[in-house]
Amino acid sequence: MNKLNSILKSLSSLRLTVVLLALSMVLILAGTLAQTEQGVWMVVERYFRSLYVAIPFQLFVPTKILRIPGVFPFPGGLTLGVLLFVNLLAAHAVRFTLSWKRAGMIATHAGVLLLLVGEFVTGAFAKEGNMTIAEGASANYIEDTRSCELAVIDTSDPGDDLVVVVPARMLGEAGRDVITSGMLPFSVRVVEWMPNSRMLGPMQASKGQLAKATAGVGTQVAATPVAVATGVDGADIDIPAAYLEFKRGDASLGTYLVSPQLNMPQTVDVGGKRYEIALRFERGYRPYTVKLIDFKHDRFVGTETARNFSSLVRLTDPSERVDREVLISMNNPLRYAGETFYQASFAPDDSGTVLQVVRNPGWLLPYVSCALVALGLLVHFGSRLIGSVRRKVS
Amino acid sequence: MKNLPRWFPAIVLICVVAFVVSIFARGIGAGDLTGAMPLEGLARIPVSAGGRTKPLDTYARNELLRMSGKQTFEGDGGSRPAIEWLLELWTKPEAAAERRVFRIDHPDVRSLLALTDATRTRFSWTEISPKLEEIFRQAQLASEVSRKKQDPFQKQITDLYGKLSEYVQVQNLREPYTVAPLAAGEEWAPLLGTDPHAKPLETESALALRGILASYAMGDAADCTRRVAEYHAVLDAKLPSAGAASAFEVVMSRCEPFYNASILYLVAFLLGCVAMLVSPMSPDRWKPSLLRSALVLIAVAFAIQTFGLVSRIYLQGRPPVTNLYSSAVFIGWACVPLALVGEWFSRIGVLSMAASLIGFATLVVAHNLSASGDTMEMMQAVLDSNFWLATHVVVVTIGYSATFLAGFIAIFYVVGGVFTKLLRGDAMKALPKMVYGVICFAAFASFVGTVLGGIWADQSWGRFWGWDPKENGAALIVVWNLLILHARWGGMIRDRGVAALAIAGNIVTSWSWFGTNMLGVGLHSYGFMDSAVFALVTFCLVQLVLVACALVPTARWRSLATTS
Repeated sequence: MNKLNSILKSLSSLRLTVVLLALSMVLILAGTLAQTEQGVWMVVERYFRSLYVAIPFQLFVPTKILRIPGVFPFPGGLTLGVLLFVNLLAAHAVRFTLSWKRAGMIATHAGVLLLLVGEFVTGAFAKEGNMTIAEGASANYIEDTRSCELAVIDTSDPGDDLVVVVPARMLGEAGRDVITSGMLPFSVRVVEWMPNSRMLGPMQASKGQLAKATAGVGTQVAATPVAVATGVDGADIDIPAAYLEFKRGDASLGTYLVSPQLNMPQTVDVGGKRYEIALRFERGYRPYTVKLIDFKHDRFVGTETARNFSSLVRLTDPSERVDREVLISMNNPLRYAGETFYQASFAPDDSGTVLQVVRNPGWLLPYVSCALVALGLLVHFGSRLIGSVRRKVS
Repeated sequence: MKNLPRWFPAIVLICVVAFVVSIFARGIGAGDLTGAMPLEGLARIPVSAGGRTKPLDTYARNELLRMSGKQTFEGDGGSRPAIEWLLELWTKPEAAAERRVFRIDHPDVRSLLALTDATRTRFSWTEISPKLEEIFRQAQLASEVSRKKQDPFQKQITDLYGKLSEYVQVQNLREPYTVAPLAAGEEWAPLLGTDPHAKPLETESALALRGILASYAMGDAADCTRRVAEYHAVLDAKLPSAGAASAFEVVMSRCEPFYNASILYLVAFLLGCVAMLVSPMSPDRWKPSLLRSALVLIAVAFAIQTFGLVSRIYLQGRPPVTNLYSSAVFIGWACVPLALVGEWFSRIGVLSMAASLIGFATLVVAHNLSASGDTMEMMQAVLDSNFWLATHVVVVTIGYSATFLAGFIAIFYVVGGVFTKLLRGDAMKALPKMVYGVICFAAFASFVGTVLGGIWADQSWGRFWGWDPKENGAALIVVWNLLILHARWGGMIRDRGVAALAIAGNIVTSWSWFGTNMLGVGLHSYGFMDSAVFALVTFCLVQLVLVACALVPTARWRSLATTS
């Protein structure tokens, strides 16, 4: 019993709190600096939702001044978050007394605990995706713009399409250049993989670039690799592209250029049977359909600065007997079926809308947390301030 | 003479009131816009640029500021207001081409353009235009490198090319949108469109403006004055809101409330310093008198700054903080009352000195941030929410203010305590209490403000916390304040430790405020010598030296040594 007490006591120490807070600051600083080189999602996974992270020394020194190789190990966000959580719980377990004097602090710390839980729930369960809809068109799936898939579609059955998907991480993996599977009608050889890319039109691309593909649209347009989007750019979408050669046995069926930027699926002829292929963002299908009736994008007069944009959509969900029109605009999202639809962006020349679709079971926690902390701190500091003012006046 | 200390604050008050009256008199009167031509009336003409309706005066100031770094230019009779340059550009372009309005600093750019006069940094269109093709070629080359990776030469040549294109746009009346919508169905429009064959606009506003420019070009003062007055009469009848706001903005620009407030803050700070210097000789007479005078100045400066802030709120229809510039103004503004509350508690003068120093410093920072053009630019759609601007942004900015204030009080405590004997007895006890109290407040405001920001993000794009650089910056301030408080509660640090950490808090706050913005322009590639980065690094180094001072053992503190 005494042993338990002493463990609890050391877990509850303020010294530990201060050390953990200091470590958190180093982690946050490193995670911010890392975003000059890496995308924000990569950083979130590696730094803030990990058990430990290897931080390069170079982050803290501009390369212009000094080049330093090497990394140092550091506790990740998950570790620090759990330790702070335990530290806080232990502190209240050891020193718990319910009195008005401590009520403020208890409320504040309860709020902080909720905040930590909220971030954990978000990290573990939240799903984000995009719904891109052209004006007049409908969508019943959500695209995850952080991961791609190669879809091979057998359209021979007029009733249903048979789709086999290959996750893009298999295409991008080092050392794996041929992908074979019994479910695929052909093997796939990865000629070139680009994590982020830009399309070159027929006039921009060189002859050599156009010669990389032997079939499909890649003979008219070409892709060229560009640096991955970094957190400080504010952009968080990479658009990959790949040159893939499809083979049946040893016979080549052609080298194709694939990318989510190419809207139309391409066809591969396998012994007379035609398959559609496309590299696309991973899709999650939904029971409901969103049709874009009208997209509005106002700009400030004489500028390209957006004043507001909004999408008038028709939401239909036959199973739930839902069929209604909704206007989604900046700061006015639609909440439906546990998901929230935000006006995020728009297609080039305003021909369509991009909705961000988020499912986060923990979305309410920060609201409660904010209220608890604000109230708690007001009570705690407020009562002390009133005390000092009283002393001062008397 | 004997009663001088008693009357001194009143004398200061009279002087400062006279100063304020003179400022407003200059704002309302024509000031430097006097002359044969009706410059004052021309300045008030509303135009639309960057999506905002503003007086022609503001447009001219911002354009000139962006090109030359100043709001005035060297005219025939010395320094002249920007509006005169703009009108000259429109009516006598060959004369305007001789004005030295393009600021070029980089030696390689100068040598490329064969600008050999090393005594100047500003050059005229005539001097630059022979090399237009070369500038275009260099800008093309630079445009193939991303902005982040451009070296200073490439950045400056890109900027110069941008300024030259804009100069041509403005000269050809494609910018700003001068033609006002006076009838139903009309929109703000440029006097000349991009299509040279299109028929010129025939609306009431376009005709009036063409008449005004023609008579200005002829130098016909009487005719021009009449036409301007007529146009204003039409505007007042058909577009009353734009006219009133324009007139007010011209007055405000000429009053320069933030500039004048910064002068008063500086004088107040100097008075405070003198008060500290004379305190050993005259602790009961001159010291309180000078401190009271400083307080008077701070109060007036605060009132002028408030006037400026409220004017911006009126003109923009927005809460006070909308961009980096206004955050600087607001941080200083919020610090002053906080510090004065502290002064009421402690009554040792140090807090009013801290208030005046922060007020002055933040306004200088704001002034340097204003060089990029209109400080009341329109906001991107996602930020278009007065509710969240008024709650999250204001609260989080107050959190920044309080963290800075704690740091500055700590600086006074450390510098005064280590190097002088001025902080004997009570002051040595009161100041750390003040630092602690302000940190408590800072922790509260920065935490609540940051979480409110998360809630805004959740409302706008469904992500409470995205770990992006700006959010992380705010989080660092919150955690730093919490760290100080917990270290003190745990008895790990006392007065000196709190002061040292509070000073280090200045580094954290300035990093979050500016450093995160600088990451985007490539701290890790080039541009490391950009002046803002240089200023930030210098500031941080000074703070580190001050932290080292705080670590001097108490036995060596001069203020403490003499108490025993």
